Amino acid sequence: MPGRRVAVTGLGVICALGKNTSEMYSALRAGRPGISPLQLVDPTKLRFQNGAEVQGFDPGEHFPGSLQDHLDRFAQFSVVAARQAVQDSGIPLSGELREKTVIATGSCVGGQATQDIGFVDLYQRGRGRVHPLTIPKVMGNAGAGHISMEFGITGPAFNVSTACSSSNHAIGQAFHMIRSGMAEAAIAGGGEAPFSLGLLKAWEAMRVISPDTCRPFSKNRLGMILGEGAGMLVLEPLDAARSRGAKIYGEVVGFGMSADAHHLTAPSALGAASAMRRALNDAGISPDQIGYINAHGTGTAANDPTESRAIRDVFGAHADRLAVSSTKSMHGHGLGAAGALEAIATFLALREGYLPPTANYQEPDPECDLDYVPNEARPAQVQWALSNSFAFGGLNAVLAFRTNPR
Amino acid sequence: MPDDVAGKIISMLAAIKHVPAAGITLESSLQEMGIDSLDTFTLLFDLENEFHITIPDEEAKSIRTVNDVVEGVKKLIAAGAGSSVDSSMSAD
Repeated sequence: MPGRRVAVTGLGVICALGKNTSEMYSALRAGRPGISPLQLVDPTKLRFQNGAEVQGFDPGEHFPGSLQDHLDRFAQFSVVAARQAVQDSGIPLSGELREKTVIATGSCVGGQATQDIGFVDLYQRGRGRVHPLTIPKVMGNAGAGHISMEFGITGPAFNVSTACSSSNHAIGQAFHMIRSGMAEAAIAGGGEAPFSLGLLKAWEAMRVISPDTCRPFSKNRLGMILGEGAGMLVLEPLDAARSRGAKIYGEVVGFGMSADAHHLTAPSALGAASAMRRALNDAGISPDQIGYINAHGTGTAANDPTESRAIRDVFGAHADRLAVSSTKSMHGHGLGAAGALEAIATFLALREGYLPPTANYQEPDPECDLDYVPNEARPAQVQWALSNSFAFGGLNAVLAFRTNPR
Repeated sequence: MPDDVAGKIISMLAAIKHVPAAGITLESSLQEMGIDSLDTFTLLFDLENEFHITIPDEEAKSIRTVNDVVEGVKKLIAAGAGSSVDSSMSAD
């Protein structure tokens, strides 16, 4: 494709698998899920008890004084991940570069926990007032705003809210902006913190949450496990990254979007396949070059066979030669942060020469008949990968990566 | 020596800024304490809840020091400016 090549030079993450990339990589390498009994919400009021929560997060360690109370948990995660990514990249964010840096975040539900508290005060406790910081904490773009202030970045900054595809859409937009010359750097990814009783009850009512754990593509799968956290990537033109001697994890090479135009929540293999094809076309690569797909892989009855069919449709006979895994089996479904967590999982694992596994896999399903890298990370030298995100609303976003083995 | 109202307000400010109350006096400037506009919103919210008053926007704009806050709150308490909305809805 015409335009500049776009390198990934920094990664930052906080999720149930750890509070930095090395902790996350250790868990991925070990196939160790971060799913455990809910602590942020009283599970006795729910039909499910488990989630993939960030453990032992103290906002005061990251945000001094009253600042910690100005950010909802999702925005705190977003800033923490962005700091890590910028530090990891070593990118000199000063002067003119700050005017030409994009901030593109994904968040689906924004400051849910903050909103829940405010509405409990109003509706349940009979108070006449809602906390004045509710609006600036709840808004989905709070993470992007705080990241801009953190680094003095004055370039284009926005949040994308396309449910479970949010951060893939955000990373894809940032990638296209750098490739086309509209921007010289990006902090792109997403953050989410969906653990409030109100939101969990809403998820419960949709009957897609597993009562125990997340077993993507396994015949005995019982649904998804919600996760939280943030992942951020630093993107910059490959030439710029090389000329400053940056560490290069790989490249974002393609981005494909589609809408199912079919059903608000039921997935469509056609829409999923279309987004994958567009990502491959955008990258200018052929299907048989792909060695790994980080699947949307929610572990629900509907997604996993539909996604498997879509992969067969796009890749034909090559579908039997590529590896597919769902790292949601370990870090949970991060909703608006999912694509960012999965992009980071993909770069971390492939760079070290491993395919991240699908944890909790127990039983083959005739409707899910691909190689899902069950339970154990597998040594492999894979250069080209896709990462799928398919959202409620039928909005699909697929990223194509070229990884740079260490 | 701060009185009861002043003591409560100093504790409130300490909680908002996550600092020890011992470092805050009636003469402390809100600006020097790093109380920005978002912190001010929180302070006004906490004051209205604690003292069952309604603070008019104009009053809120004139506070500079801890003592301004204390005097303003005392004036509103004396005027019996309790919120009718809050008392009718209050369940706690």
